[in-house]
Amino acid sequence: MADDREELLKGTLDMLILQTLTVQPMHGYAIAQHIERLSGEVLAVEQGSLYPALERLQKKGWLTSKWGASPTGRRARYYTLTATGRRQLGAEITSFDRVLAAIQRVLQRA
Amino acid sequence: MSFFDALRYRLRVFGRPRAYDQEIDEELHFHLALETMQQEHAGRGAVTPRDAHARARRRFGNATYHKEESRQMSGLGFFDTAAQDLRFAARTLRHTPGFTAAAILTLALGIGANTAIFSAVDAMLLRPLPFHEPNRLMQVSLTTPPINGEPAHDDSPWSYIKAKTFREAQDVFSSLALYSHETVTLRAAETTREESEIIDEQYLPTLGLSPSLGRNFVPDENRPNARRSVLVSESFWSRRLNADPSVLGRRLDLDGAPYTIIGVMPNNFHGLTGRADLWTTIGARRPFMFQPDEAWDHEFSMVARLKPGVAPERAQTETRVLGARANSSYMTKEPAPGWSAAAKLLDRTRVDPVVRRSLLVLLGAVVFVLLIACANLANLFLVRASARQREIAVRLAIGASRRRLVRQLLTESLLLSVLGGVISVAVAALGVRVLSTMNPQRALSAQQLGGLGAVSFETIHLDGRALLFALVAAVVTGLLFGLVPALQATRPSLTAALKEGTAEAPSRAAFFSRFTTRNALVVIELALALVLLAGSGVMVRSLAHLVAVDPGFDPSGVLTLRLNSTPEARPRDSLPGFYQTLIGELRGLPGVTSVALGDCPPLAGGCNGTVIAFHDRPRTAHGAGPIVGVHWVTPEWFQTLRVPLLSGRLFTDADRFGGRKVVLVNATAARRFWPNESPIGRSIGVYQGGFDTAYVAGVVGDVRFQTIDSVAAADVYLPYGQSPRSGAMVYLRTSSDPLSLVAAARRTIHQVGADLPVYDVRPFSSRVADATAQARFSALLLAVFAAAALALATIGIYGVISFAVAQRTREIGIRVALGADRGAVLRLIVGQGASVAVVGLVLGIAAALAATRVLRALLFDVTPTDPLTLITVVALLAAAALVACWIPARRAARLQPATALRD
Repeated sequence: MADDREELLKGTLDMLILQTLTVQPMHGYAIAQHIERLSGEVLAVEQGSLYPALERLQKKGWLTSKWGASPTGRRARYYTLTATGRRQLGAEITSFDRVLAAIQRVLQRA
Repeated sequence: MSFFDALRYRLRVFGRPRAYDQEIDEELHFHLALETMQQEHAGRGAVTPRDAHARARRRFGNATYHKEESRQMSGLGFFDTAAQDLRFAARTLRHTPGFTAAAILTLALGIGANTAIFSAVDAMLLRPLPFHEPNRLMQVSLTTPPINGEPAHDDSPWSYIKAKTFREAQDVFSSLALYSHETVTLRAAETTREESEIIDEQYLPTLGLSPSLGRNFVPDENRPNARRSVLVSESFWSRRLNADPSVLGRRLDLDGAPYTIIGVMPNNFHGLTGRADLWTTIGARRPFMFQPDEAWDHEFSMVARLKPGVAPERAQTETRVLGARANSSYMTKEPAPGWSAAAKLLDRTRVDPVVRRSLLVLLGAVVFVLLIACANLANLFLVRASARQREIAVRLAIGASRRRLVRQLLTESLLLSVLGGVISVAVAALGVRVLSTMNPQRALSAQQLGGLGAVSFETIHLDGRALLFALVAAVVTGLLFGLVPALQATRPSLTAALKEGTAEAPSRAAFFSRFTTRNALVVIELALALVLLAGSGVMVRSLAHLVAVDPGFDPSGVLTLRLNSTPEARPRDSLPGFYQTLIGELRGLPGVTSVALGDCPPLAGGCNGTVIAFHDRPRTAHGAGPIVGVHWVTPEWFQTLRVPLLSGRLFTDADRFGGRKVVLVNATAARRFWPNESPIGRSIGVYQGGFDTAYVAGVVGDVRFQTIDSVAAADVYLPYGQSPRSGAMVYLRTSSDPLSLVAAARRTIHQVGADLPVYDVRPFSSRVADATAQARFSALLLAVFAAAALALATIGIYGVISFAVAQRTREIGIRVALGADRGAVLRLIVGQGASVAVVGLVLGIAAALAATRVLRALLFDVTPTDPLTLITVVALLAAAALVACWIPARRAARLQPATALRD
């Protein structure tokens, strides 16, 4: 079902964004670049779908954002991980690892 | 904290939605610009800027979609949906202008009436008193034990010396002030009577006020023989002194003595009595008016401010102890228990309990009316919803979420209720005006209700709080009548509604459930209406009893007016002769049959009272004898007011200075003090007016001096001829219209004494009407609300039954076609309505029995559960319900089967 995949992607995307921002505050484009570069294009998503996720994460209080000057001189919105966001990331990674391990166990049996 | 981060985010979005929308736009453009640069860079010049941009767009995905998603995520989508729903709701409502207008009007009246009553409740009960830290102010009063049938009091005034003793002993109040109300004669180009307060220099500082012009009194001005100074109210200043800023130092002639104006009070301040225009000091009073060492001359109210950090409870304890001590030091015999003092928070004493109760009852009643209106509207919405059933079912079927549909339907009801709320402000403004013109204020003082005059109906106005109330009421109302129909209408039972033609015969279960909701609403309406009708029924009956009370005199055909002499103009000893001349002149007016003077009019309360002694019985302690009302009258008073003489004789002109002092007693006094014997000729002591030894000359009928609903008290009458008073109420009995006498009476009085202020000129009957004004006020408003409830409930049951008939048209057609006679159809439909009505009435009776109990304190001579009233209102409501069922039932019975089946 299309819905299920979107759910999974959404959850993963959130985790990737949070992880990316542990490095430093970044604007949206930089976050997209970072994720693509590190995942070696495997996890290439439509870049635009990043932005609804950023709004959602802010609404949950895991990110904050403020406008600042980018190196090109243009105004850009920079996102910062909050303390709660950092905790949330830990929780998500733990649960993700658990799911991954379970899947791997199932796959090895088969 | 994530909570605060999230909150800040929401504030950012919702605070400036349009700006945030632009920020999202800007961010996406920024992204696309960078990606375009990146693509150009990656292409190393082989890519045109156009292609680079296209590639960037491709990588980005559907920008419009992502932007829309971002908006939804950020919550901005809320506004889009709301705007969309509003447009849709407005369009739907425009299609049914009749329904819309009726709904908005119902809401406007309901919310408006609620807002008006709320304004009254707010002004009278809720709004903080207009003084500095009003919750630190306490009213300190003497308490008296029950004496000879008189109940105990905890709100008695102080004598000056007891107050002084108390003030010096206490250490819980930072300041204490004394005040008393007095009417004074202001002699100017025109001589008038003005309301004043006699205060001390602590009064304004205690309340935390200071004059807006000039200064407060200094302690020296509150000593006997001090310089006489006066403060004036702002309204007096502008009315009588032309708002002249250089008015300080001017003189006012008050009661024949010159007073220097030292200041103007802040705006709207008329003292704690709420009536004063002038303030003078206690010390400046003339010696014969005021004996500071007379411990039993109880006259002054006391207001005190708590010391910082002192709890009101501690002040209450200390007041009780010290009050008992202050009292006992002035008792000649051993102190009686119950003579003490009590402190209450000033805010608690702001209105009489009767007024508080009435207002709360009215608020409850008006809320009931709004609830009934809500039930009606909910029913109307249910009817509409079933008409739109197919539309809703289609939308659900093609994937609209139920939440979304509920939201849209709620937008419709909220739009209605907010529109109603806006119009309700006009209704409320009108209502507030009506409330303050009904102004029971005069009636309140006439009835001697307790409470601060400073809190009055005149202070009722529509303010921000009232508008906020209206808004909240509108939103709550909209949710209340919108939610149930919205949930009902979107209940997912699609198939039945989608099938062609089934709108007339939905599945039995769906029909039944929808129908029970509608019936339940009507049951609630009827029950609420019954409670209101029962409540207003007993109030009206109580009013009828009040009006029917025989006050002991006949006010019809009597003109009353007040006048006042000053000792400077006429020494006390010359007053009897002067008044005799005056009465003689007035009696000569055409149409006048008799003329009399009295000091204190009936039904007004606040008359003099004192302790009496019986010289032919063992002596009792000073201040321990029975208490009687004391009234000064001229000989013709009884004849003029048609108070019967029961035995002995009335006063005559021969009862004057130097003669044997005589008194009259009323029937209650005769019965209470001389059971089974004649009081005539007995020697008694009335410790007022120099009647330490006087003889009872006769017994007269009881007159209600206090309130119309109070039991008759023991009263003693003293003759003006032997104990003149400087002020008097003049009674003129005439064979024609009392008001036709006014000009002639004024002229005559001015010929006899040009300096006499003549004021408060009214037919006696209008004073008597004042005595029932408070009861009339509550009963009338309650009756209006009950009538509204009756009308709404009738409309409600009519709506339900006609809808049921419309839905069952086919079925009825078949029944008639198969041979059911019209009587059977009629019985079927009326029976359906009747069963709903009976449930509503039974519930209503139970609720009324419980709810009307709150009225007990407001009723006179009626029990809250008066059976006759209850039976009458049940019958009335049942009749209304029957009519409401009858009309649609008759329509059903007249159905032509052919038409019914064809449609």
